[in-house]
Amino acid sequence: MSLSRRNFLKNSAAASAAAAIGMSVPAELKANADTAESGWRWDKAACRFCGTGCGIMMATKNGKIVAVKGDPAAPVNRGLNCIKGYFNAKIMYGADRLTKPLLRMNDKGEFDKHGKFGEITWQRAFDEMEKHIRKALKESGPEGVAVFASGQYTIMEGYAAQKMMKGGFRSNAIDPNARHCMASAVVGFYQTFGIDEPSGCYDDIELTDTVVSWGSNMAEMHPILWSRVTDRKLSDPNRVKVVNISTYRHRTSDLADMEIIFTPNTDLAMWNYIAHEIVYNHPEAIDWDFLKKNIIFAASPVNMGYGLRRAGEKSLTPVRKDGSAGNYTAKEMETINHEMVHKVSAAEAPALEPYGYKEGDNMVNKPAGLKHWEISFDEYKKFLKPYTLDYVAKVAKGDPDESLDSFKKKLQTLADLYIEKGRKVVSFWTMGMNQHTRGTWVNTLSYNIHFMLNKQALPGSGAFSLTGQPSACGTAREVGTFCHRLPADMMVKNPHHRKKTEHGWHIPEGTLNPVGNQHIMKIHRDIEDGLVKFAWVNVCNAYQDSASAKHWIKAARELDNFIVTSDGYPGISAMVSDMVLPSAMIYEKWGAYGNAERRSQHWRQQVLPVGDAMSDTWQWMELSKRFTVKDLWGAYTLRNGKKLPDVREAAHKLGYKDDTTMYEILYANERAKKNYPITLNKFPQKGYDNSDCNGDSRNVIGGDGKVVKGCGFMVHEYLWEEYAAFGRGHGHDLADFVTYHKVRGLKWPVVDGKETPWRFNVKYDPYAAAAVAKSGSKSTHAFYGPLAKALPYGDLHGVKNKKKTSLKDKAKIFARPYMEPPEVPNEEYDTWLCTGRVLEHWHSGTMTMRVPELFRAVPEALCYMNPKTAKEKGLKQGELCWVESRRGRVKAHVETRGRNRPPRGLVFIPWFDEKVFINKVCLDATCPQSKQTDYKKCAVKIYKA
Amino acid sequence: MKVINTITLGLTTVTLLFLGCNQDAKPAKQKVVKPTISETSLGLRKNTLFDEKVKPHGTKYSATYAGSGHKIARAFQDAPPMIPHDVTGLIPIKIGDNQCLSCHMPEVAKDMGATPIPSSHFMDFRPVTTIAADGELEKDGHKIKNSSSEKLKNVSIKSNHGKLYGGRYNCTQCHAPQDTGVLAVPNTFKAVYTDPDGKDKSRWTGDRLMQGINTYDTSK
Repeated sequence: MSLSRRNFLKNSAAASAAAAIGMSVPAELKANADTAESGWRWDKAACRFCGTGCGIMMATKNGKIVAVKGDPAAPVNRGLNCIKGYFNAKIMYGADRLTKPLLRMNDKGEFDKHGKFGEITWQRAFDEMEKHIRKALKESGPEGVAVFASGQYTIMEGYAAQKMMKGGFRSNAIDPNARHCMASAVVGFYQTFGIDEPSGCYDDIELTDTVVSWGSNMAEMHPILWSRVTDRKLSDPNRVKVVNISTYRHRTSDLADMEIIFTPNTDLAMWNYIAHEIVYNHPEAIDWDFLKKNIIFAASPVNMGYGLRRAGEKSLTPVRKDGSAGNYTAKEMETINHEMVHKVSAAEAPALEPYGYKEGDNMVNKPAGLKHWEISFDEYKKFLKPYTLDYVAKVAKGDPDESLDSFKKKLQTLADLYIEKGRKVVSFWTMGMNQHTRGTWVNTLSYNIHFMLNKQALPGSGAFSLTGQPSACGTAREVGTFCHRLPADMMVKNPHHRKKTEHGWHIPEGTLNPVGNQHIMKIHRDIEDGLVKFAWVNVCNAYQDSASAKHWIKAARELDNFIVTSDGYPGISAMVSDMVLPSAMIYEKWGAYGNAERRSQHWRQQVLPVGDAMSDTWQWMELSKRFTVKDLWGAYTLRNGKKLPDVREAAHKLGYKDDTTMYEILYANERAKKNYPITLNKFPQKGYDNSDCNGDSRNVIGGDGKVVKGCGFMVHEYLWEEYAAFGRGHGHDLADFVTYHKVRGLKWPVVDGKETPWRFNVKYDPYAAAAVAKSGSKSTHAFYGPLAKALPYGDLHGVKNKKKTSLKDKAKIFARPYMEPPEVPNEEYDTWLCTGRVLEHWHSGTMTMRVPELFRAVPEALCYMNPKTAKEKGLKQGELCWVESRRGRVKAHVETRGRNRPPRGLVFIPWFDEKVFINKVCLDATCPQSKQTDYKKCAVKIYKA
Repeated sequence: MKVINTITLGLTTVTLLFLGCNQDAKPAKQKVVKPTISETSLGLRKNTLFDEKVKPHGTKYSATYAGSGHKIARAFQDAPPMIPHDVTGLIPIKIGDNQCLSCHMPEVAKDMGATPIPSSHFMDFRPVTTIAADGELEKDGHKIKNSSSEKLKNVSIKSNHGKLYGGRYNCTQCHAPQDTGVLAVPNTFKAVYTDPDGKDKSRWTGDRLMQGINTYDTSK
């Protein structure tokens, strides 16, 4: 907001009211005047798509959506949506909606993995699920039953799935596609703050002077946030600076004051260059008072590999003379072998010198886990020594057609912007820093800079991770639908957390499985290894969205397993599955999402689902009716030899019988039925459908062969309140269910009815204020997250003193070096491939490709390429080319003048297009700490098709 | 809209399969239905996943030149209109270089044969956000408890004094050129226009900005 606007406000007594056009105060009086729209019902809802979390107004007439507009009352987007947001109106009306369960069968109607699909009833569908889950449990134990979960689950759906998986089946093999999207941000948060999710909020945009985008095409992926950045920039163009840091030019560069094109993975080096500038050349900029009160320095092992498969795993056995191994070709093994031993390259050698490595050394990798230890500032300074302007410019310059001098000037300007006293700076990032084989590292490096300059957790300043999906925060992270998590930042491996969860769920102590290691790539690999026998795809497209896709598709189709996909539309996961279930889509059910600024937003069911589609919550509840205490709660031995105890006796003590179903325990229990009745004539239920709880006029025949009448109580409110109880009083406070139906979302922690705009800041966060009052530290901040808050002490090479020191209320600055990814271009595969999204399509395109306006805007995934690269390869604009990696190849049309303009040596291909199945080409390397796949870099060759 | 109605034979089959069954009466008992749906009939690829004989769609945007008067009907009342003309050379949009404005600003649009930017784009819906001297967060000069309240106190719709609102500067965020080829899948959404000219005009202005916004009756 500009000075002129501020003056305007000050000078005008009733500024907003006086300036209002066509509207008198109070606003509510005007709200229902119109007659032209008789028969229209407007209601608020959250957008289906990205992590921005915009509010929409949705009109229905005769049971169909007829219009969508931006919600003027929604603080996130204020009456404006992006193109996807407006076309929420059409996403449920694609002509090929799934309306009936489908099963692969033979002509006799028996399940046949090699058969075609035929329609079945819901009853038969649950019969098949039950049969195959029982088989999987018998053959592999709880680890054999898996769910591909989602950052697009509603909060209640995710919670329902988590309860049945972890509490019922005792399996932690439930992991969301959010693993692919922000797991590195999460581990970064845990390691730095001891607690997940950002300190800032979107008001930072209006309050800042500088927006630096690191590996985030905000203009396309968070369009409404970008519109706020644009407004801020245009309102004070001289003061406000926008910098875009990327491996290729895209729309975010179009409004930037400066664009930095860097070589993939060297963001690590650039962050450390800024730190080097501060520590070596501008020590006066360091706020030592802030650091001493709030920060310690830390280090961790560097030889941790790249999250690829490791030697000895079943599918990598046997190793053959030609270099191939198990199911992997010799070409694939060229890259996978880095997982075991990596030769230190010339580019990374200087950065690894403080760790005792030199060029050509063999770095022997071993799983490092999450361990780290405290070091001194002097040790951190020693670590930073290599990151001179000369070194970093040399490794990081990503456009071969830019001069070194020009690039150096940009790096200096970047550092100056951060360092400038009194200049507020927000650093935003998304997939560029998360989808990264050192994703956790680079996330933590961002906070280093903001901490040293005391520009974190302040209005208008902070490093701010933008999440990709609409409820990656709300569901995947806060509910904890990850293999290693439980609600409200609790962990499956922590016995106190398990106990607390067991009590909250009213299930016996000892039920929960303490081993949570089946992250999404591990589930795919476990299917390929034959361990996971049953997998259910929920609200995601696991077979289109995973890299090295050919392996997982082959495993699903050819091995003895049973794969189920629940979806609104048939996508690649449906094609691969043995059974396909029709799911209610977003506005066909009640729900809630949580966005990237910790804002939780609820909506009501607007219309009935199509055909026999039912919500995922209903599907989980129906499935849970098929399993009893006796079936699931006996003893198991896990693959690592650990035993899960028989808890049936303990269950009896809780009042359950052997034949009590999981439905009666986890969902339709006495407290749910008693405390959350359906009140049809009361807000928010009044006037709205609720298919899960009441059934509906379609009279769908359910899992028991009878008409679905619903569970008979307000299951959404029950799930919300039970889940929220875990976080209240623990820094995750959520308001009550009904409040969210009245407001346009609230930012947690919501304490005494008040949301928290900036966490960890004593001024704005009651938890920080309480921590400082308790410790007497007199600090402005308290980084009160509880995880990993006692560390041993050492140097860059390792722990020297095992005695742990408490760092209560403190955050960490990490020493983490620049390293290369496991696969870099060579003579044969000479080009970097980067994947991602485009504005008009959401993820794998199952919804947006069925909206005519969005399809026509971008009907195919193009291969964005520098005109000089095209010329070198003998390709012309619009021609088809092959893009081939060690794993596979796809065809795409060449685009040399589109919205993405890569430098020579890099191509960008989005992944939404089933016909350009780019994940066949991508590499399933992950950050070894976060297990998040690096979709942003692998090596390909390109030639004419 | 001829293109929408042109669907391939294969698609028609699938559509009929799904929609047809949708209208079936509830089966009294389970009867054996022969499986007839191949995996390659599902989804948009229409090809096996095991080879790459599939051909990408190919993009052919309208070659109509800007100013020719050709328009695409709005998808529903007050929906953002799609771009009916060739945009080659007109984008990217940069600071100080937005070629869309040179034809679509209301004062010139009529003469240029272009759709004028509607009045909603010349309003600022965002309250002025400031930090007061005591550190408190303020919106439109008032200290706030929450960014969103039950009583819609936070709504702040005001004139942007004749200037295009900065947050709407990125035209391509909502408006996109359109391919002229065949759709992958038809869509059964039916627009209901409340204005006789709703297909080509937005009247999201005045009272209508607030229409339906009070989804919770605060009087009770």
